[in-house]
Amino acid sequence: MEINLRKPEFVMKLDRLGSFHQSKLSFLRSFIREFKDWDFYNHELILDNKGFGHGIYVVQKDEKQYSLVCFSNHLNDNDRSDRVIATKWDASFVLFDGIPTQEDIQRLKENVPLQEQGRVSEKELCLSRANKSVRVFEHVVDSLSKGQQPDTSLLYDVGYLYRTTAVYGSGKFGLADRIKIQDRGELKGPFRLEMMLVYLARQFTFDIVNHVAYERSPKDAVKLSDDIARNLGIGNSTGLGMAPFIVNHPALLNQWIRAKEKALQAIRLISTIEENEKKTFQSYLTTIQENIKYWKTDSPYQIEKNNQLLKDLKEFQEYFLNLPIEKSFWNTVYLWAEQNTKPECCEFIVSLMMEVYPDIVEPLSYEMSIDEEEYFDIDSSRNVDDVCKLIEQQYAWLLDINFNQKENIFNFWYYSKNKQEPRMSDRFSEEGSDLELPLAIARDIQSLYRELKTMKSGSDVGSYLSKNQQYRHVLRRVFICEKLPYSEIQDNTISKSLIPVDMLRLKLSFFGATRFDPRSDRWVRITMYQGAPLMKEIKKSNDTWSYKKIA
Amino acid sequence: MQSLYEIETTIKRVSKSQGLSWGISEEAGKAIRSLEQSNLNGLESFKRLIDYGFNNLTKLLQTDQTNTQNLCPIHFGLFFYDQSHKKEIHKTFNFYELREPLIIIPFILKAAKRNLVYFKLNSKDFSLSITPGNIFSLTKGEIPQSLSDFTLSVIPQREVNYSEKTWDELYQLSLDTFVDESEEKKLSGAGAGLTDND
Repeated sequence: MEINLRKPEFVMKLDRLGSFHQSKLSFLRSFIREFKDWDFYNHELILDNKGFGHGIYVVQKDEKQYSLVCFSNHLNDNDRSDRVIATKWDASFVLFDGIPTQEDIQRLKENVPLQEQGRVSEKELCLSRANKSVRVFEHVVDSLSKGQQPDTSLLYDVGYLYRTTAVYGSGKFGLADRIKIQDRGELKGPFRLEMMLVYLARQFTFDIVNHVAYERSPKDAVKLSDDIARNLGIGNSTGLGMAPFIVNHPALLNQWIRAKEKALQAIRLISTIEENEKKTFQSYLTTIQENIKYWKTDSPYQIEKNNQLLKDLKEFQEYFLNLPIEKSFWNTVYLWAEQNTKPECCEFIVSLMMEVYPDIVEPLSYEMSIDEEEYFDIDSSRNVDDVCKLIEQQYAWLLDINFNQKENIFNFWYYSKNKQEPRMSDRFSEEGSDLELPLAIARDIQSLYRELKTMKSGSDVGSYLSKNQQYRHVLRRVFICEKLPYSEIQDNTISKSLIPVDMLRLKLSFFGATRFDPRSDRWVRITMYQGAPLMKEIKKSNDTWSYKKIA
Repeated sequence: MQSLYEIETTIKRVSKSQGLSWGISEEAGKAIRSLEQSNLNGLESFKRLIDYGFNNLTKLLQTDQTNTQNLCPIHFGLFFYDQSHKKEIHKTFNFYELREPLIIIPFILKAAKRNLVYFKLNSKDFSLSITPGNIFSLTKGEIPQSLSDFTLSVIPQREVNYSEKTWDELYQLSLDTFVDESEEKKLSGAGAGLTDND
């Protein structure tokens, strides 16, 4: 039987990409798998009775060491904001390459809490900050100080004690360039350092509540139970800044999607399965349907998606239970899901299928990085007729879009001068479209195509470039897409109907985020590491924690 | 110290702000990044270009261009990067003046490597050779801030940079690693049969 990879024109639509779920390929899970045999420990925790001060957490194996330096500072309630325009936070973090000296700690103390306004060095690898969930933090501290465990229904509704509002890496604000660490074996998967930072920051949030509760009442206080702590993750509040990443890194995007598609293809190709494989899938399916009740959101968009997911899962459940084990079982399951459920449910089922086959899926996580520089250069010796054909094959979806219509060019992307973060605005009522970022891929490739069509047949790309450089940035992409077909989102990223939160969701699903809670069409809260092993348990992790029942 | 990422993104944005297309701005960012990574003063060189003004620079768009005064190194480098696969480019060109010739190096290095061509830039006080082998060599002088009355040769073949005598002497020495063969070894050493007339 032949089963091809799903076609890019099917997978790379934003409504499908925006329905992706975490899976075994997600970076926070591959981080834990990669580092589970490293030593994790608290190196230093110097906090006052209100929990302000700093802590250092070390990840170590042989001579290799990484340290998370955490700072906890007082923050007035009216200064607390998740938006990137904030200038103060409850906590700030920096991942240090090695173990910091006292001089380093002092330098970091003066700079890390300032985030974008501070300055870090090439000794540092990642930078982040977080705010308390005030309601949950106070409840937990209050309960623990009275010798009681907190109310889990409140805790699990929120899912975390703190939420991060940005995680920076790869050279930003003076951090080490990726070139410094790219050859380290343990960092071969994408975003390993960012995942390490968030994982260690989660531990810091537990240590703070335990510390403050003890300081409040040394005689009565108890520690947060491991079972409760394990079911708390760390939150994240993410705005539009994250969206252009997946457009600006086409080669990397291809690797992520391709790994998932290869996993799905391999599973669909399994010809015979045993009863226990079906049972394993069923057990995950049962648990996760229970856990979905904790996916709280006020977003009508997400509420509708979640409700549809539950409805589709119910129908799928009935189908799946009655499905006899037959030849090409998973292919039958997949095809049913594709034909009978919405993308939200179909992609959910794909993630669940991947859980059953770690031997197939886990090795693919090492294929999710790429040297993007290898794909940067344009082959100017290529024939323009060939390039036109490439566009007709790879970008057929955009050739008929009428970019003279207002709704098709409604938005423009720009960089905020205040925060140096990407933003999106209405081209027709806001100023600044003359400084538009090169993210209007569909519009620009159509323009490139029209210009190439006017070239003399048989002429080469070099001849075109000698006369016109305006579309050089998208010409590059056409060649990338030729080699890496999952590199391009196949939707118009400046149309009025664009739902930017789908772009955020795509990236966050690969991070391993759960509980998508859009606060608007361009702002989302999520949870990471909910259910993940605690630092002291990581060696025992078997990567099934994502599908453990929360409560 | 700024990270290479900061240098690349800042140069990219500056280039765009000065009127270059996004595609060229991306190339400029990578070029200055690679110069700085090699401890060459790309950033200072780029700043002098900005101070001079891109509007005052001449873009190289074709080889028979008559005005080659104040040539922009970014467009100069990109021109040969985009065109040096063509046979008609494989010759020597005369130019009047190039600003900040340092900046052409990353572009020419990439062109040499991709198209397997050799570049020789020559003026009265300065010579630069760029090969597909990731090495460039200055044969005389420092890289000036402006280069006048110079030639650029695009050569499709590697040149011989040594004498016949040197080669012969080295080759003879290399024979010292060989083993003299007896008549018997000549017959059996290569593993062939005793007769091939079957």
